[in-house]
Amino acid sequence: MLSVLMVSYPVVVVALRAVSKKEIGSALTLEWLTAVFESSRSAEALVNTAIYTAGSSAVAMTLGVGLAFLSTRTDMPGGRSIGFLSLLPMLVPPFILVVGWVALADPNAGFINILASSLIGTRTTWVNINTMTGLIWMTGLFLTPYVYLLAAAGFRNSDASMEEAARVAGAGHLRLLYTVILPLQRPALLAALLLVIIMAAGDFIIPATVGLKARIYMLPSLIWQNQGSLPGQPGLAAAQSLLLVIVGLLCIYFQRRALSLGGRYTIVGGKGVSPMLFSLGRLRYPLGAAAILFALSSSVIPLLAVGSMAFMRYWSPYALKPANLTLRNFQYVLFEYPQVWPSAQHSLFLALAGATCCVGLAIALAWYVIRTRGRFAGAVEYAMVLPLGIPGIALGIGILSLWILVPGGIYGTLWILLLAYVTAHIPVAMQFVGSALHGIHTDLEDASRIAGQAWTGTIRRVDIPLMRSALIGAWLLMYVVILREISLVILLYNPSTVVLSVGLMDVWSSGFYPELAVFSLLLLVLGLAPVAVLWKFARFAPD
Amino acid sequence: MADWQQPARGLSQVAAEPSYLSVYGLTKSYGAVRALDNFSLDFGGGQCTVLLGPSGCGKTTVLRSIAGLVSPDTGRINIDNSAVFDAATGTNVPPEKRRLGMVFQSYALWPHLSVEQNIAYPLISAGLSKGEIASRTKAMLEWIGLAGLGERYAHELSGGQQQRVSLGRAMVAKPRAILFDEPLSNLDARLRERMRLELLALRQQAPFTAIYVTHDQLEAMTLADRVVVMRAGSIEQVGSPEDVYKRPRTRFSAEFVGIPNLLGGTVRSAIGADMVVETVVGVVAARGWRSDWSPGAKCTVAVRPSLICLRCEATTDARRGSIIRSVYQGTSTIYLVELDGTQLTVESLSEERHAPGSTVAVMPTPGAVFAVLDD
Repeated sequence: MLSVLMVSYPVVVVALRAVSKKEIGSALTLEWLTAVFESSRSAEALVNTAIYTAGSSAVAMTLGVGLAFLSTRTDMPGGRSIGFLSLLPMLVPPFILVVGWVALADPNAGFINILASSLIGTRTTWVNINTMTGLIWMTGLFLTPYVYLLAAAGFRNSDASMEEAARVAGAGHLRLLYTVILPLQRPALLAALLLVIIMAAGDFIIPATVGLKARIYMLPSLIWQNQGSLPGQPGLAAAQSLLLVIVGLLCIYFQRRALSLGGRYTIVGGKGVSPMLFSLGRLRYPLGAAAILFALSSSVIPLLAVGSMAFMRYWSPYALKPANLTLRNFQYVLFEYPQVWPSAQHSLFLALAGATCCVGLAIALAWYVIRTRGRFAGAVEYAMVLPLGIPGIALGIGILSLWILVPGGIYGTLWILLLAYVTAHIPVAMQFVGSALHGIHTDLEDASRIAGQAWTGTIRRVDIPLMRSALIGAWLLMYVVILREISLVILLYNPSTVVLSVGLMDVWSSGFYPELAVFSLLLLVLGLAPVAVLWKFARFAPD
Repeated sequence: MADWQQPARGLSQVAAEPSYLSVYGLTKSYGAVRALDNFSLDFGGGQCTVLLGPSGCGKTTVLRSIAGLVSPDTGRINIDNSAVFDAATGTNVPPEKRRLGMVFQSYALWPHLSVEQNIAYPLISAGLSKGEIASRTKAMLEWIGLAGLGERYAHELSGGQQQRVSLGRAMVAKPRAILFDEPLSNLDARLRERMRLELLALRQQAPFTAIYVTHDQLEAMTLADRVVVMRAGSIEQVGSPEDVYKRPRTRFSAEFVGIPNLLGGTVRSAIGADMVVETVVGVVAARGWRSDWSPGAKCTVAVRPSLICLRCEATTDARRGSIIRSVYQGTSTIYLVELDGTQLTVESLSEERHAPGSTVAVMPTPGAVFAVLDD
């Protein structure tokens, strides 16, 4: 029951704060809610957020579904490696993507524009990341793997016999695609679309970095400014958050509905006949090359750009020469920059403790919901969906608005950050643990009880060993996600609890890009270290 | 494969003292569905009691209640005269403290443990010394005929071997009784028959208390000291296998132990439970469960297929029917015969074959007819 409260109070608190003149408990007012639509900056942000969400969702859906289809259902060369490359960005912090694309597409010093200039001879700007198109492009790339994951699973598991039936009934290739294959995936695709809408609308990092630099205001970045800067407008921030929460929860509602209605699309039987591969004919190699280029541009290319930027003495249009190579940035960031080690310690502590808490709590909750089926099982199940629909920045507002009222409480300590991380990420951990627990036949537990083990011993000796790879997978995912998380903590940290991702924002605002590159590589390395060690023991697909 | 027909070594290592179990007034409802309705039964020590019934009759609920995996709404469960469950006093000993063994339909072997570790698990739970665990595990592996396979994992064994590991695990800690939940229904027909005979031989060597749940009448007939036919959460009939087969109490029992011929009849005369009944197969002597029959009353009789004779040449008063279909089964032939609009199943051991369409005389042998209670 406590867990239900834990994940649901932020919604209530955000709503209360949005209609309170000052802190919660003061006089009620509608001024903040009207200000969301009437203040010119806020109204502008509203329009921008809508364009940004629609655009990046469209990019992500096109790329994700396209890559998934090409790599699973066609004879395109290199399908498997494209599958791996498409998922790689999930492991790379989005900050790398941002820094990498700035390095590539900055109007002045971006590698692409430098290349263009040297080809043409005069200064030319082919691409400019500091535009709405640039923002949409980056976010679209960032969200593509999530679409890919859902779509590829659907395409891979589709039943060959249904398609064969359609072909026998006289459907040609394209007709087959439009009348059978895609309609069968409709629930999965709708779920993917709603997921990326939530993620795009609530995305913080891209609007707050490149977005603010380009003076393209969006709701999450405005919430940050209204809450954080002085003189702030916390009421307005809460009202804007409330809007995001409502959109997010609506999306979650429709997503769940799509997935549960999807039950009737579930294919029974289908004995391992692999579905037919579409022949691409002459387009095979061009499409393959394009797919690889897209897959690379979301992880490997930005990573290379960040990597090379990190070794440059300074960063300007004419800095690309061997004489400019240096290790100075590494020395500065790793050994001289005062913030870096304390914040790395905080980050590591939070990621280790947060991942462990999430997985531990998820085991307890999943056991309660699935096995005990106690009185509150239904409530817990529903509540656990909530955080999936609440953007990090809004969840931050909710947690902040409550704990700021508690004198001598956890506000301003690392514990509030830990609480925020656990609140935000427990649902995903629970999905992993839950599906693993569903996969364990209850007879295995019953047999252990009868063989003389109490339920605690049964969990320890039977369930945990059987779920081990899923638990490790969940733990790693939590660790990586918490380490790079920023929207949640940007409102909750204070100078004594700075974490690496917040430190990155500081370096960003200082504008010294080579140091920024080193800093983001540090985040990447810390994140990937345990993944590299534990990779072979883990299972990531929650199925 | 082990040969349980042979005398086993180290029997003292595996046999346990047979315990007495009894349940009184068990009731269990799942929502509006009543799975058990005031169910009471004694399970004799060292006996094998088979609960026989269709799915949903409550037999598994009885078994799981005894195991402690299900808590009945009312009633009491005693093992050796001490209550492990009593709804009235709130006693509910958890399954791990009841000292029982159980064999599951799914075998429920832990996939992350080897055969040896699976079998040793109950001993480890009981907190025995390392030496004792090792020696008893080894003895059990030998006894179930899997010596040398202890390092393997369940998925590396055949279905029959997995079932033996499951049995070894259930027996190793010398439980007070062993519960079998449809243990053979995952095996193919031939293996099922073989395991059934092995189980029978095993029971004869080590007479542990067994409670066996199945919907297969053949398993019930082979393995049971006592068959309990269950229906809709209560007992339909209790008796020895022969008793239940020869003297089914009700139409339901008769159908469930595999008697397809249930005919309507009219009582001509009755003295106590002995009576003369007129049916489509003629005027025959019958026995019944009730003794209050009066002449002219309608009744239902069960006629076993193997006790009906078919002849080509008719004696004087035999009824005639025509063969609708014949199914050759090797040792016997099953005929479907139509008599005055009623269809009869007849099992014939005779070499004489009747072609479909031919007319035959239908003659029940003495003792073939038994009057059952209508539902």
